[in-house]
Amino acid sequence: MDHCASVLLAFPPSSPLTNNDQYHRAAVAHVQRVDKMIKDNAASFNGYANQLLEHVDPAKNSISYIALLHTILVHGNPTPPHDDLLVAITTFLMTFDSRQIRYVGGPFSIVLGAVREGVLFPASVAVELVATALLRLDPTGTMLTSHHIPLVTLAYETDNIEPVLPVIEKTIVFYPGMKGPPETRYPCDMQLPPPAYITPESFLTTRLNVTNVLQYDLFCGMCFIQRRAWRQAFDALERVVSYPTREGGCSKIMENAHNKWLLVGLLLNGKTPTLPATTGQAAQKSYATHGKPYAAIGEAFGQATAETLKTEFESVGSQFWADDGNLALVRLVLTHYQRWQIKKLRDVYTKISLEQMRTRTQSAEATGPLKTEAEFEALVESMISEGMLNGVIERPADGKPAYLTFLSPNEELSEGEFAAKMLSTAQRIRDLGPVVKATNERLATSKDYLRHLVKEQKKDKQGQTDPFTRFEQTVDDEDLMMDVVSGN
Amino acid sequence: MTDSLLAFFTVIDNQCGVIVKEAPKFDLDLYIQSYRGRTRFDRLLLIGRSSVPLCVDALKAAVAEAKRGRDPQRYREAVECLRIAAPSEPEASFDKAWLENTETANQNETRRLTAELKGYKNNLIKESIRMGNEDLGKHYESIGDLNAAAEAYSKMRPDVSTSKQIIDVGRHLVSVALQRREWGMITSHLSKMPTGANSDEYEHLQPYIKIVTGLSMLGQERFLEAAMSFLAVDVNISSTNYNEVASPSDVAVYGGLLALATMDRAGLQQKVLEAADFRQFLEHAPHIRRAVAQFVNGRYSACISTLEAYRADYLLDIHLQKHIPKVYAQIRSKCIVQYMIPFSCVSLGTLEAAFSNPAQSIEEELFAMIRSGTLQARINAIDKLVTTVATNPRVKLQSTALATAQSYEKQAIDRLRRMSLAAADLELKGQRKTNTSFSGLGGAGDIIYDEATMV
Repeated sequence: MDHCASVLLAFPPSSPLTNNDQYHRAAVAHVQRVDKMIKDNAASFNGYANQLLEHVDPAKNSISYIALLHTILVHGNPTPPHDDLLVAITTFLMTFDSRQIRYVGGPFSIVLGAVREGVLFPASVAVELVATALLRLDPTGTMLTSHHIPLVTLAYETDNIEPVLPVIEKTIVFYPGMKGPPETRYPCDMQLPPPAYITPESFLTTRLNVTNVLQYDLFCGMCFIQRRAWRQAFDALERVVSYPTREGGCSKIMENAHNKWLLVGLLLNGKTPTLPATTGQAAQKSYATHGKPYAAIGEAFGQATAETLKTEFESVGSQFWADDGNLALVRLVLTHYQRWQIKKLRDVYTKISLEQMRTRTQSAEATGPLKTEAEFEALVESMISEGMLNGVIERPADGKPAYLTFLSPNEELSEGEFAAKMLSTAQRIRDLGPVVKATNERLATSKDYLRHLVKEQKKDKQGQTDPFTRFEQTVDDEDLMMDVVSGN
Repeated sequence: MTDSLLAFFTVIDNQCGVIVKEAPKFDLDLYIQSYRGRTRFDRLLLIGRSSVPLCVDALKAAVAEAKRGRDPQRYREAVECLRIAAPSEPEASFDKAWLENTETANQNETRRLTAELKGYKNNLIKESIRMGNEDLGKHYESIGDLNAAAEAYSKMRPDVSTSKQIIDVGRHLVSVALQRREWGMITSHLSKMPTGANSDEYEHLQPYIKIVTGLSMLGQERFLEAAMSFLAVDVNISSTNYNEVASPSDVAVYGGLLALATMDRAGLQQKVLEAADFRQFLEHAPHIRRAVAQFVNGRYSACISTLEAYRADYLLDIHLQKHIPKVYAQIRSKCIVQYMIPFSCVSLGTLEAAFSNPAQSIEEELFAMIRSGTLQARINAIDKLVTTVATNPRVKLQSTALATAQSYEKQAIDRLRRMSLAAADLELKGQRKTNTSFSGLGGAGDIIYDEATMV
């Protein structure tokens, strides 16, 4: 056992490893040594693996620690789990050294999988642990891994959305299995973009298929809907709706997301959203045919009377909405109809009596104006307190009816505020720099792209190209790149 | 109103036709004298079906007009109307002998012309074929078979040789399209006519082309383009060149009204009141000139009442009838907008006095106008004030700048994402994906979503 402990504690060595080269060699050698040791002592090792955990520091000797955890979880008998093991896993996932973990992707994925399955921990803890671990592995959160999808599914299905928010709020721009140049840098290089070390080959993720990617964004959207974060829900669903397609592809998930997207758009902006220009042709057609009841709801939402909305809702029956899993959302849209009507009055009035407002706006639930003024006043007051409406209800002293004054929002920003807002946007765009760089590198080494480039240059030299067509080609860079890359 | 008239207008009302109870200011006989050709009947029938005071007179005139022609269908239509509206009139009974004679004569003529055309075709003489088709087309048009007429006329096209002939083909086709109210077709027929190549021939054609273009734009509710066309009509060409379509007074009314509905004050001053040509047209319709002048001088309520006085006349015009409510509403809201410009705040009472409308309260009207974005203002329903909204260029600039920056960011991310998806071969393809090597994801499999399916 002592021998084992000394092997386990041998990495990282006490003398610091000055460069990536040294670190890489030492780490690879250590992984091999630990593997060999465990294999050689397979019979006895299981017995004292638990004890060894106490001697190894999860934050410092992460490679060794995960090997021990892996052994215990796979070969030992972790059920029923004893508290020490749970504490060990928790501590490890919260503190591990992400640089070392890049060398032990396989065991790491297995440990994460075990945590996620929900046998060891209750779902709420499992979600938080996996979310923290994923963000420790890739602090930028820009890479989708095979752990993301079950994580967000688990979070949504067990209603533990809060702990998963840090993960799903990140912008995903990388996916496993992207074709690119063979990676020559060492995985331990801390300057590497996430797709360089989170690869199917490193076992930190597996390959994904289209359904996985679509499902991830759909579930993100549903999580945000649950939290009533309409803006984020809308963006997430829009990613599904405008998913890149080829040869007339469209999937059920996209249709489903489109329906939710439309309803969320109504709640967010009070009007039917327009499809992004990047939406595939076939998808657009399919949305139009399969989303008819939803489109009808959207159209009715914009009308001045609530009758159509109510009819559209009732004509298909609540069973239809329930089957689509959108009943609650549609009901919410109906509730929000009058709220948006009230909100839109601000574009016309500065002051208006409550009575007039009551007759002017209709409730989609009651199909008509609300019956009593008290009921209406309560609605307006709730809107004001929720911040949906910027105004105050005034009651004149002389007994005249109460009225609402719309407060004009202070639209004009001071020079400083404006500069700060612009700067923060500029900073966010600048933060995309590494991502752009990584994408650029990948593209620059793509054979097809280079071939295309050489051809273009030749043409240029021969002066064959018309400057305008050339310009068009460079401007339309998105299509150009898609063609080139997908042609690999 | 007699019982029979009442019954007639109930039928019209059920067919959603327009009914004008007020007597128009024009004299029916003088009015119809300014036209020739098939439009006379169309106009008479429309007046007969719409105007209560002129109903019987117009229908009788329509019957007489139909009898002068060779179109039995028109005769039947006019007599049917008259039979309901005024059964006691002598014209209200069918002249069976005339009908039979005309129909037989028409059939014979059709047969003769078709046979002739066949002969020409056998002889392969281009000019004869063209003339044969033209005669046949004219015949079909006169007996009311517009489909066949259009077909015969368009068969002329392969055999034309001079620009005059091209113009003839165009005119025939436009005339048919106009009767069938195919506004889009008119433009395409017109575009095939030579313009300006042969200046002499083109010159006398100018008013016709401008008027027909204007009508086609009007039919498509493109009011500004229509107004521009009418305003450009050359006054020096005799109206006999175009009176099968419209009279000079029509040109003035169409042009003036539509300009009023679409142009600003400076535009009206320059393009309507000060335009040398159009001023002469306006002499045929002095009230239109008055209304335009009143609008330009800022006397909006006077302008509206001048126009209202002539609403009945315009509702009886074959081309304007359908558009009058919309055109008037546009002029009215333009008046209100113009009225508001010099003020930052107007009381609702003042507006009500200036633009009183028994049908609708001014607040409702303003509400609709603000909603549609015609008027930039806010209503204060408590203190009964309307305040105009000043646009703040600074705020606009700031919000545009922020929106641009944000959309740039969003687009950048979206493009990166798409490139990555393409690189990872994760685009959704039309057929079922086969590389589903991914498995063992707990939870995700529980959801009953299909895999990417083909659509």
